[in-house]
Amino acid sequence: MASQESPMRYEEDGNVHLDFHGAANTTIDFIVERFGVEAMDEIFRKVGRDVYVSIRNDLIAGDTRQLVRHWRHFFDRESGDYDIEVGDDQIVLTVRRCPAWHHVKGLVGHVSPHFCDQTSRTNEAMAEGSPYAIDTEITGEGSCRQVIRRRA
Amino acid sequence: MIPSDHFTRFYNEVFKFLESQGEEALEAYWLAISKNQERHILELIETQGLAGMYEYWSHIKIEENCDMDLDFNEDRLELRMNVCPSLSKVMDNDAAPMERYCDHCAGWIGPIMDKTGYHMVYDVIDRKKPQCVTRIFKDPAKARAAEKDAKLLMGWPGHKVG
Repeated sequence: MASQESPMRYEEDGNVHLDFHGAANTTIDFIVERFGVEAMDEIFRKVGRDVYVSIRNDLIAGDTRQLVRHWRHFFDRESGDYDIEVGDDQIVLTVRRCPAWHHVKGLVGHVSPHFCDQTSRTNEAMAEGSPYAIDTEITGEGSCRQVIRRRA
Repeated sequence: MIPSDHFTRFYNEVFKFLESQGEEALEAYWLAISKNQERHILELIETQGLAGMYEYWSHIKIEENCDMDLDFNEDRLELRMNVCPSLSKVMDNDAAPMERYCDHCAGWIGPIMDKTGYHMVYDVIDRKKPQCVTRIFKDPAKARAAEKDAKLLMGWPGHKVG
C-alpha cells in the first residue's frame, strides 16, 4: 500500500463553497423521507461506482494512492481536522472534525441521521470488486475512522 | 465526505434518480432545495430587493468560482454566466450528465422570485453549454418583453413556459 503522489481525476482548486453540504443534507432528508434509505444508499453507491470510477479502477488494480491523495486534498481544502496513517496492512483515515458535518450543524442545527452514509456507502462502492474493503466507523458527532485493508 | 467541490456530481446522480421517478418528484425536490436556499437569500431580497440579489450573487460568483458578469440597475438584475462551474463539472465527469441538469437552477430560484414578487427570465441558451443569461425584473411587463429575446426559456414549478 503505497502513499506516493498519484494523479487525481478531479482536482478542483479555487474557492470552496461549504454551503453545498447544507444542500446535501436537505437532499438526504428529502430522498430518505420520500423514497427510503435504500434509494439514498443506491444514489451514494452510484457516486462511488460511476463518479469515482477512476479511484475504483485504481483500487481494483491494487493501487490505493489516488484515494489517499483524494482524502488529503479535499480534507485540506475544507480545513478538516484529520490524519492519515499508512501502514503495511492498512491505511487509516481518522477524522476528528469533519468539515461537512460541522458546517451543516452550524448552518441549520439539524444534521440528518443519514448524513454520514455518504461516506460509508461511497467508500463501499469504490472498493467493490477490488482486493480492498473500506470500512467506515462513525466515532462521534462529526468524527469517524475510515480503514482501507485487504480483504481476507 | 463527498467534498463540496463534488456536490454537483452528486446532485447530477440525484437528478437522474428523481427523473426516473417522474416529473412530480423532480419538481418537489427543486421546491425543497428552494426552501433550503431561502435561508441564504430571502431576507436580502425582502429587505433590499434587487440590490440584495446583487449582493447574494456577488458572493456566489466568488465562492463558487463563477465566470459571470453581473449587471444591476434599478429596473433589473442581469446574471450573464460565461462559464458555469456547476454544469462544467457535471460535463467533466466520468458519470453521464443528466440531460436537463440546467433546469434545477430555475427550479430553485423561480419559486423564490414568485414568493417575493419578482419576475425572472431565465435563458438557458443551450443545455449542453455551460452558459446562460438570467434577468430579474420588478415590472412584469418588462419581463414579458425580455422573454421574446430568449433562445431557450426555462420554466419552474408553478411557472410553465412554452
